[in-house]
Amino acid sequence: MQVSRRGAGRGHAAVFQARLILLVMINVAQLWILSAAVEAALARHYSLLVPLVVASGVCWLIALSIVLWWRPVSRRYTSTGYVRESAPQRK
Amino acid sequence: MANSLKTDMKNLNETIKRVMTDDGGGVSDERDVREATARSQHDFPYGRGEEAQVTRREFCNFLALTSTALFVSAAGFAAKAALDARASVSFAPSRVEGAESLAPGSAMNFLYPSEKDTAILVRDAEGQYHAYGQKCTHLACPVYYERAHARFECPCHEGAFDIKTGNVLYGPPPRPLDRIELEVRDGGEVWATGRVPGGGEHAI
Repeated sequence: MQVSRRGAGRGHAAVFQARLILLVMINVAQLWILSAAVEAALARHYSLLVPLVVASGVCWLIALSIVLWWRPVSRRYTSTGYVRESAPQRK
Repeated sequence: MANSLKTDMKNLNETIKRVMTDDGGGVSDERDVREATARSQHDFPYGRGEEAQVTRREFCNFLALTSTALFVSAAGFAAKAALDARASVSFAPSRVEGAESLAPGSAMNFLYPSEKDTAILVRDAEGQYHAYGQKCTHLACPVYYERAHARFECPCHEGAFDIKTGNVLYGPPPRPLDRIELEVRDGGEVWATGRVPGGGEHAI
């Protein structure tokens, strides 16, 4: 499938925008989780701490996957070195 | 070459000294410094405008780092809380200096069980002593004795506690204050003998 240069650039920008928005949302969620963990610890509700830390860890993994592995389709090489079959060939 | 470098350094030092002692009425300090370091900038180009810009990729990486920091903070805080909950604390009896002369309806601070733990001792209108850890159970602000209403109040988020039971009267605190066990010995001396957590779970 051929993707025009302009179309690919627009897709690239859209993906970056989406990454930014998702990462900001994840950071906000993690801030909330951290404050909930602080409150739970001070209230001695220790049983809440493990689920909160797990939730924060899941958020962190999602953030990592967004930053490291989520690339625009138009990009030929991924961070793992994988060459996309459908990517347009460079001349 | 060596002489010109020395001259550059001298100029730079003079400029820095002048900028640091300037009362703000002079010209732009940045321009002065850039003029003084013009020769070095040729070898190490530095664009103020370029530095001020952050690319989307850099911002993404910054957000990922923030996410990592938040995760580590949550995990570290939880781990510390778990360790603190499991740690066995021994409470050596300690005399509360000056408690005998405390007038009814007034309060004083003391340190118990360690030198880092502030506690508050109050003597109610009937002459009975009550003591609690001074940390509010909401976000650990120090509570104080409000004489007019005969209760402990937290100035941070307007929580209040009963002086006789340590229970929450109103506000955001989720559990009572930690109670300090007292013993009145011969001669009216007041001794702190232990500390009981107010509510909550005692271990993970």
